[in-house]
Amino acid sequence: MRILVVEDEKELSNSICTYLKNDKYICEAVYDYNEAVLKIHKSDYDCIVLDITLPFGNGFEILKILKKIGKAEGVLIISAKDSLNDKVLGLNLGADDYLTKPFHLPELSARVGSIIRRKYFEGKNIIVLGDLRIDNDEKIVKYGNKIIDLTRKEFELLLFFVSNKNKVVTKAAIVEHLWGDQIDLSDNYDFIYTHIKNIRKKMTIAGCMDYIKAVHGMGYLFNPNKTEINNKRK
Amino acid sequence: MKLLNKFSLINLLLMIFIFIVSSIIIYNLTQVILLREIDNDLAGIEEKINNYVSKNQMFPIGNPLDEERLIFQKTGILKPNRNVTLIKLYSAREKKMHNFREIAFPLNFNRQWYRVTIAKPLEGVHHLSQALLIVSLITILATILISLFLNRLYLRRIWKPFYESISIMRNFKIGSSESLIFPRTNIEEFSFMNESLSIASEKAKQDFLLLKEFTENASHEMQTPLSIIRSKLDVLIQDKNLSEKQSELVESSYASIKKLSRLNQSLLLLTKIENQQFDLKNQIDLKSKITQKINQFSELWDSYLIKSHIELNESYINMSPELLDILLNNLFSNAINHNITPGFIQIELNKRSFIIQNKGSNDKLDDTRLFSRFYKATINSKSNGLGLSIVNQICKVSKIDLSYKFQSDLHSFSLSW
Repeated sequence: MRILVVEDEKELSNSICTYLKNDKYICEAVYDYNEAVLKIHKSDYDCIVLDITLPFGNGFEILKILKKIGKAEGVLIISAKDSLNDKVLGLNLGADDYLTKPFHLPELSARVGSIIRRKYFEGKNIIVLGDLRIDNDEKIVKYGNKIIDLTRKEFELLLFFVSNKNKVVTKAAIVEHLWGDQIDLSDNYDFIYTHIKNIRKKMTIAGCMDYIKAVHGMGYLFNPNKTEINNKRK
Repeated sequence: MKLLNKFSLINLLLMIFIFIVSSIIIYNLTQVILLREIDNDLAGIEEKINNYVSKNQMFPIGNPLDEERLIFQKTGILKPNRNVTLIKLYSAREKKMHNFREIAFPLNFNRQWYRVTIAKPLEGVHHLSQALLIVSLITILATILISLFLNRLYLRRIWKPFYESISIMRNFKIGSSESLIFPRTNIEEFSFMNESLSIASEKAKQDFLLLKEFTENASHEMQTPLSIIRSKLDVLIQDKNLSEKQSELVESSYASIKKLSRLNQSLLLLTKIENQQFDLKNQIDLKSKITQKINQFSELWDSYLIKSHIELNESYINMSPELLDILLNNLFSNAINHNITPGFIQIELNKRSFIIQNKGSNDKLDDTRLFSRFYKATINSKSNGLGLSIVNQICKVSKIDLSYKFQSDLHSFSLSW
């Protein structure tokens, strides 16, 4: 999967690329409008992470060009402007999602993953991790043939973990993903532990390995490749 | 005291003073003039008597029809003085004492000196002066009444543009985009005032716009470095060799970034609300909206061991859906953040009101400062003190009445529209 990151802040762009890069994703970064236009003409991408304010132009123009040359790239807008008008304009011009700065990289990764799944698996929005099948359309998780009965929040949380597998995600990022950034909760995120505990319990009952590992009380790591369970949990 | 009334009062007092003074002057002046007239008459009579005596060699006989009293008094070789005096005499006609003017002069007849006195009643003078006084008093009264009436009528009309301008200024909102239109007036002072008001209000508006623009730009500019810091931390924590101690450091950095970014967003939101950037209004089914919010939050309540009591009735409101969402989020978050464990939340929706109550600290909050920016009930409160300020601002632009009460251990926020 090729991802183009159009963001004029080099430091932010670097972080995004470092975070997104893994065995599945290849990241290319451009830092201004002209470079971006060149790139989208030259090659195809699976997803474009697009900043709105750019040197020599803006993201909306790039969306228009994509439409004009008939490219169906998935586009995720990242903007410092939390404006409904910009959101509507961006989505109308063919963007798939809109993320307001400052965001958590796991959130960006989840959104990018979701865009790619929506665009390229034609209706079959299913993630398979070994014996674990997550059907994103039906909102059903299966381990082998057994259905793991998760609540909506638990399902979303699992999906979030899967989109950020092998990455440490902070509790704050999880809370923001599950409840949105408009909800202003105090810094006590202990209640997430309840959800994690439930997911673990339900997965273990289904016979699935516990892939979720607590990291220094700061966040969690979802590692489906690991066979041994790390018992150092909070 | 109104300028109009004050002016009228001063005017009135001044007029009364002038009229009194002028009446006194008129009264005295007429008396002096009339007296001189009488003195001239008496001098004329004196001349006539002198002529008569030297022509006819005898004293004239007083005519009983004449008002004058004529007396000849023999003084012999002594020549009497000539003088004019005021005396009181008994008037047979009116049967009382009256003022008379008397002239006494010497007359030589048959080598004898006579003292001739002629007295003339002053009754006419008296009456005339009185009449003049009465006329002037009536004039005073009439003038005062007429001027009061005219003042009421004309001054009010003349001052009308002033009052209009003042009421326009009073309705002036610094954030509104429309410019002030003052009534046209041909009175120089008022048009000068209107011009000054126009300039001042335009200037204030421009400064306000600049300030707003600055706030907005500053907030936007701040989002980018915040994004970078947060993304760097997100990358940093992926390091497998990160120690527990380092993780703690990172975690507190995260918390501060979150606080800063939320603060920034809240300030930006407040500016936007004040800017009226949420002017799109819809009729919203509040019952379903709140049910949705309750679903969203109920899991959180469970996690915080908060019990709830909910009573929802059909209700609709006309406001911006975006703002309603923010409003409810803030009120709901607030009810959780300031709750105790185990806690309690009560939500009540009626046709034109919404009440959300929560358990919390045992003291009433300072409701004079509760909705102001950066108000914190306790110093080390984790909230940024903008949540309720945003609620307040949203209510203001959506024409919702917001009030706070503390009763039976519940902090209650009620909205009515």
